[in-house]
Amino acid sequence: MKEGFRQSMAWLHTWAGLVFGWLLFAIFLTGTLSYFKAEINHWSQPEIPSRALNSAASLDLAQRYLQTHAAGAGSWFIDLPSEREPELSVSWRPAGGGRGDSTQKVLDPATGSELQARDSRGGDFFYRFHFQLQMPHPWGRWLSTFCALMMFVGLITGIITHKKIFKEFFTFRPGKAQRSWLDGHNAIGVLVLPFHLMISYSSLVIFMALVMPASIAVSYNNDTRAFFSDVFGIPQSVKATGKAAEPLPLSTLYAKVQEQVPGARIAWVEVQNPGDENARVRVTRYSGDRIAHLRGGGWLFDGVSGTHLSSDFADTTPMLISGGFYGLHLGEFAGPVLRWLYFFFGLAGTAVIGTGLVMWLGKRQLKHAKSGVQPFELRLVEVLNIASMSGLILAVAGFFWANRLIPAFQEGRADAEINTFFLIWGLSLLHALLRPGRKAWGEQLAVAAVFYLALPLINAWTTGQGLNHSIRVGDWSMAGFDLTALGCGLFLYWAARKMLLPPVVAPKRAPKVAKAAALIESEVK
Amino acid sequence: MKSKAAGLPLGYRLAVTSRCLAALVGGYLLAAMASVCMGLLLPMPKAEAVITGMMLSFLFYLVAILWSFACRTAAQAWLGILLPSAVLALINGLAYWMNTP
Amino acid sequence: MLAITLFGFAGFAGLCLSMERHYSDLLGHKATPRRLRGLRIGGWLLLVVALWLAVLKSGWAMGLVELFAVLMAGLCLWVFVLPYRPKLLLVLAAASVVLGPFSALGWI
Repeated sequence: MKEGFRQSMAWLHTWAGLVFGWLLFAIFLTGTLSYFKAEINHWSQPEIPSRALNSAASLDLAQRYLQTHAAGAGSWFIDLPSEREPELSVSWRPAGGGRGDSTQKVLDPATGSELQARDSRGGDFFYRFHFQLQMPHPWGRWLSTFCALMMFVGLITGIITHKKIFKEFFTFRPGKAQRSWLDGHNAIGVLVLPFHLMISYSSLVIFMALVMPASIAVSYNNDTRAFFSDVFGIPQSVKATGKAAEPLPLSTLYAKVQEQVPGARIAWVEVQNPGDENARVRVTRYSGDRIAHLRGGGWLFDGVSGTHLSSDFADTTPMLISGGFYGLHLGEFAGPVLRWLYFFFGLAGTAVIGTGLVMWLGKRQLKHAKSGVQPFELRLVEVLNIASMSGLILAVAGFFWANRLIPAFQEGRADAEINTFFLIWGLSLLHALLRPGRKAWGEQLAVAAVFYLALPLINAWTTGQGLNHSIRVGDWSMAGFDLTALGCGLFLYWAARKMLLPPVVAPKRAPKVAKAAALIESEVK
Repeated sequence: MKSKAAGLPLGYRLAVTSRCLAALVGGYLLAAMASVCMGLLLPMPKAEAVITGMMLSFLFYLVAILWSFACRTAAQAWLGILLPSAVLALINGLAYWMNTP
Repeated sequence: MLAITLFGFAGFAGLCLSMERHYSDLLGHKATPRRLRGLRIGGWLLLVVALWLAVLKSGWAMGLVELFAVLMAGLCLWVFVLPYRPKLLLVLAAASVVLGPFSALGWI
């Protein structure tokens, strides 16, 4: 640590990366999956049919349902379907009730009849896991935010350490063991750097009020609520008068919104005091309609007269910046192409972390290659590497298998899915402990490959909505999931083959390239 | 860099631990002080100043972490973090005192 | 988005070729300094056109997001396929230069 700035930064990069790498890998992988949260949700509840979107009609159907089933409730909530997720869900709670008192039902967006969908956390499980880590509030959020800070530190120290960031900007030399891993690590890190920086800094911004509350405490005399109402404008709730009044159809209010902002997509409608003279309707816009993700934006209507009471889009520069970071992180605005790119960049982030961990170990194992005996700490890192990478990939597949194989209407099945996930993850750790490194990698990757390749088959077999069906009816969320599973399976098969077959000495490549490589090598030294 | 963990002298280990603490605890302190300072002093509405302060505080944290490992000795690491924190705390105290009627 | 992808890809290909090492690796002969400078200027110009198109079409916020996304994706493609299929990439880069303007004009 005494050798100079660059060396000390390399030291920090190495050790911060090792200590937080395993957790960061899990956070990045599950976070990457969350870019397809809606699609995974749809896949994990195949009972909800995918329909043509018609928000106005869905709103009226939901309203009719709620009038019959929840007439006396204090407030109603309607979650509208989107292009990506076909679910129309309604919930209600009694006057003065909290979040825990609410009842939720899933409706068919085209007919308004109640649907019985299997109980599953679906994509929300991975989404929640990636920032709560299945820990009690608020510890998971603290830990994951801290990991994000370490990722940020890793990126900055990585840039400082990387000697030839511009000279080797376009360089990747495969088939050369450690050198190739380093090239790959650097290339994915540098080429996708804007994404990496955005994603790690925005994670800090998202939870800044949780992890850095000192200035709220000082400037607002420890009154966090006052701060949030300053920022988001906490809506005033009105008391019900007790006099019944005929409510306007929600589709009328929807039309009013469309008049103001043509093409605005609506995600969420809340009705306070439904059926009362003092009914209030808050219409919330789909946050993907623009990049910045800001809470509290929406239209407030009188639910009886239809008077437009307020719409609060307070855009100040600092809020636009923080909301912009938030929105960029979530990527809700992304259309199909951009969403896939988000997914790939997420995988790139995961790969940077993974290659870093592999290199840390590989470099140190080389020194013990001759004696064939590994010191304890290297073996520990090896086991953790395997379990945290291939084990997690396997566990994700296990979650999806559980979703299809646990009977659709069994009690407590959502929890059983999550338990399966952690059980398989645990088993992979055990397996990594028992088997030698390369074999453990190969076997876990091979099992994972089988798991992913079989997913479309299991889907077809248990739900009848296999690829032949979903492509025919144009249900691209469902088909996309199956195809992605196939793609992952093929990739894992390739990786497993590489691990299980004896390592081949890289064949001599074209002499010209080899000469150039030697030249480069001499430049490095 | 230190492949044989067992062979490292105790003094080195303590110094590394001390630097880690300086980075994590000291760094947080510095970041918090900086965010409070910006929240109080930035010439914009209160909510905006607080948000800006919180957003930028992480850069202070980052610099503090880098500093803790870049400087020559562990003592220097602490000094380089605690001194600016103390100065910021002083400014914060003054600003808070002047703001409170 | 296709137009900015094509211009961006071609731009980075030009910048890559403007480095002596990559130029001689890919094209098999030494480059004159003048050609390298030309490639560098051309590459940057193509990138500027990509930026201009992105902002023109989608505004600053969305345009920059799209531009960064397709640039990063194109770079990854270029760098990781280069050691395996250099010829293919050169063809792709040339095709991007040719097709870029057509795409920008909305003809494809």
